[in-house]
Parts: sequence; structure tokens; C-alpha cells
Amino acid sequence: MENDILVQLRSTSLFRGLSDEMLATLAERAVMRKLAPNDILMKKGEAGDSLFLIHTGWVKIVTEDSKGDELILNKCGPGEIIGEMALLDSEPRSASVIALEDAEALEVKQSAFQDALDKDPDISLSIIRSYSNRLRFSTTYIEKAIDWAQKIAEGDYSFIDQTQPLSKNAQTADDKAAQLLSAFFTMVRKVKEREDGLKQQLEQLSFEIDQARRKQEFEEITGTEFYAKLKEQAKNLRQKRAQQ
Amino acid sequence: MNKGKIVSIHSFRGGTGKSNTTANLAAQVALAGKRVGVVDTDIQSPGIHVLFGLDETKMGKTINDFLHGTATIREIGFPIGENTGGAEGRAKLAGKNLWLFPSSIRGREISQILREGVDFNKLNEGLQTTISEFDLDYLFIDTHPGLNEETLLSIATSDILIIILRPDNQDLQGTSVTVDIARSLDVPHLMLMVNKALPKYDFAQIKKEIEAKFSAPVSGVLPLTFDLADNASNDLFSLRYPDHEWSKSLRGVADAILAVK
Ligand SMILES: Nc1ncnc2c1ncn2[C@@H]1O[C@H](COP(=O)(O)OP(=O)(O)OP(=O)(O)O)[C@@H](O)[C@H]1O
Ligand SMILES: [Mg+2]
Repeated sequence: MENDILVQLRSTSLFRGLSDEMLATLAERAVMRKLAPNDILMKKGEAGDSLFLIHTGWVKIVTEDSKGDELILNKCGPGEIIGEMALLDSEPRSASVIALEDAEALEVKQSAFQDALDKDPDISLSIIRSYSNRLRFSTTYIEKAIDWAQKIAEGDYSFIDQTQPLSKNAQTADDKAAQLLSAFFTMVRKVKEREDGLKQQLEQLSFEIDQARRKQEFEEITGTEFYAKLKEQAKNLRQKRAQQ
Repeated sequence: MNKGKIVSIHSFRGGTGKSNTTANLAAQVALAGKRVGVVDTDIQSPGIHVLFGLDETKMGKTINDFLHGTATIREIGFPIGENTGGAEGRAKLAGKNLWLFPSSIRGREISQILREGVDFNKLNEGLQTTISEFDLDYLFIDTHPGLNEETLLSIATSDILIIILRPDNQDLQGTSVTVDIARSLDVPHLMLMVNKALPKYDFAQIKKEIEAKFSAPVSGVLPLTFDLADNASNDLFSLRYPDHEWSKSLRGVADAILAVK
């Protein structure tokens, strides 16, 4: 199992740059937490001083909507990291995490991480690089998402075929942006399906022309001296053009 | 020899998209390799020059000078293909044969022309001279809405008349009168174009319905789109966004013009 954990840690973008030795130190000090369905892993508002690597099973990340009902923000499974901002700050948790089934999560304490940092300050560089990559990645996708949202508003869904959604096992699988993106694609597909359905029932228009008014307006315009002259001139012109 | 066709773009009510349509149609036809002129006879509210990136500072002599006899047609034609400026869409017109014949945007001159009125023979002579001087295949005229005298003149002189309407009863009512007038003035080719249709409607049905009402072809049904409104008349939309639904349908109208023998 020890080995499993090392492999999982290394596969995350956050820890990818760490040496085997450092990963082993982190893994050693990490605690495996076993969860039964509905067990709470983190509670929104609590102080956050550790991150979790989901080892097995699935958890949901939830908050409350304005009515106090549970709102699921995301679901995370094996290999995904949650609460990683806790390594940098000790802000309260922004959401709660609850087990959906039997699950195991590896807890890495901020203190363990900081000890590792003290031993090898170079790690900080690698971690900062990883955070900034993730940020840049998110920004790019946010920009893309804005662009796509505009396209959807126009009813243009062509980008779905032109864009490869990131798959779950891509390198960035633990990235929130990739998850957001995949949720976004699912939503777009659903919207498109619904719209395709609606297209079958486009609204029909019918028009009414008031023929008496049409005739009256026509006569008002054509009844003038100006018009009579113009009609004559136009007729001559057309004859002349026809001869050319 | 008189080979160029006069294409008038008209609508009964204002704001139907005449200026945008005229500019984009002219650009598409020029892009197809034709020699094209665009006349802005909407003297009361000139606007098409903006779409071609022309402002008052760049504007030399205008139609008004010609109508006053103080300028020749040669002096008025502004070569768009040599002055595409920075806009992405317009840049595609570089080297194309497209001239704009702007009307003056100075208020005093405009009211003077309106007071004096425009004579049919003089207008027609001017248009024919324009066609032969620039060896044009098509001369597009962006008209003023409604059926005032200047507009009747441009209808009377057109080879092709395109009436733009929005798909509502008020526009259909006004269009019905224009259609009757065009027939009374023996316009050889009459086409309708629907603009600003809400996407929730069935465009094929709109086309069928209107064609049946007027016994005239509807050469395109173009959607209402915020993108065009957004573009704020700064560039030629169909060149800038060729894959947009509006642009695709507009090219259909350009094709219908090119198909007229
Ligand atoms: N299909 C469309 N969807 C949305 N907006 C449009 C569309 N067509 C034109 N518009 C907008 O409507 C306004 C009027 O367009 P335009 O100036 O081309 O019309 P016009 O008929 O020449 O007007 P006028 O009668 O004032 O000369 C412009 O702001 C233009 O951007
Ligand atoms: Mg206009």
C-alpha cells in the first residue's frame, strides 16, 4: 500500500516535481483516514491545516444554497487532491467534503509539509511552479469558457466537436479546472440536446396585410403629377436600356 | 455600353438594416471579383461610409458636389480596396475593385439638396456615368426609408430592387405598397430579404409565407443577432465573421444578385 500511495502522490500535478525521498517522507507522516458513507472528511468553516489525497472510493464536495439545501459542487475520486490551498494558507474550509461510499483519504498535514520544506527549500520552487501552472491553466479555461458561453448564446455548438475535453485520466485529472470543464461539456451537450428537441417545434408566424389600406396608399403615391412623370421617364429609360 | 446593373436596397421603415446589408452585399460581390460601386443616397442620414471606415476627415468630394455640378464622378469615387484600414473584415477587400460614392454629412449641404429636390434624368445620368467611368458590374444604392421622391427615383432606375423587411405585420404592410410601386415602375428584378428574424421562428416557413403573400422571391432570412448590433457599424460583419449565420444567409442574397442575368 505504501507503494500505491507514492505512485498516487507522484501522479498529482501538485507533487509531481518532488524527489522520491521527499515523497516517501510525506507519505510516512501522512495518515490514512477510513470513511464510511456519509462520514464528514472536512467541514465548511473549520480551520484547514491539511490536504487530502483520495486513495479509494468517492467523496462529494458540498456547500449550501441560499435555502440551506445541500448543493453538490463536485465529486472526487481516487488520485484527486482536495483542500490543497491549506498548504499555503490556513483559511477556513470553503466547502464540506462527505464520503459517498466507503473511502480512504490520505491526510497530509501542513506541519509535515513545512518540515519537508525546511529540509529542502528547493521544494518550494517546485510547488510554486505547480500552483502557478494550475492557475494559468484555470485562467486559460476560464477565458475559453467565456468564449464558449458566448457561442452557446448564439446557438453555435460547433466548438464541441472541435475541442477535446480532458479525460479523467489525463495528467491534470486532479485539477479543478479540468473538472469544471468536464462539467461544462456535459452541460453544453444537454443544452444542445434540448435545443435540438426544441428546433423541431420552432414557432410559426402568420402575417396579415390590410389590402384596402395597401390599395389606398398605392393610389396616394401614384396619383401625383410627380409619379406620372417618373413612370413615363422610367418607361423610356427601360426601353433605352433594352435596346443597348 | 451599359453593362453595369443598378441594385437598390430599400425598406419601408427605418432601421431594418439597409446600410449594413448594402455594405456587406457590395463587399461580397467585390470579393467575388466584380467591379462594384456603392452610392449612399440616404442623404438625410448618411451612414454607410462608417461601415467602410470612412470618416469626415478622409472624405473628399461627395455626391452632393456632383449634384451641384461642382465635382465630376471621377473625383467622388473613393477606392475602398486601397484604403481598407485596420479593421479585420475590411482588410479582405485589399486590392478589390470597390468604390464608395459618399454623400455629404455636412448639415447645410444636406438641407440644400433636399430643398432643391433631385431630378430623375440628372440622377440617372449620374449613375450611368458612374457605371461607365468606373467600368462597374454593379452599382449598389443605399436608400432612405419610406417612399419619398428620391427613393421613388432610385426604385425607378434600378435593375434589381431588394426590399428589406422585418418579419412583422407593419413591415409587411409597408412592403406590400413598395412591391406594387416596383411593379408599376417595371423594375425587372425584385427580391425581398428578411432581416432581424428572431431565431425562435421557423425561417423556412417565414420565407414561404412571405413569398406567397407577394409572389416575389425571398432571397434570404437573416437572424436578429446581438453580434451585429455589437459590431456597432465598425467593420463589415460578413467579412469579419464569415461563419456566422447572418453572414451565411447574406452570401445567399449576394449569390442571388450574381445569378441575375
Ligand atoms: N440582423 C440584425 N441583428 C441585430 N441588429 C441588426 C441587424 N441588422 C442591423 N442591425 C442593427 O440595426 C441598426 C440599424 O441598421 P442599419 O443602419 O444597417 O439600418 P438602416 O436600415 O440603414 O437604418 P436607417 O433607416 O436609419 O438608415 C444598426 O444598429 C445595426 O447594427
Ligand atoms: Mg441607413
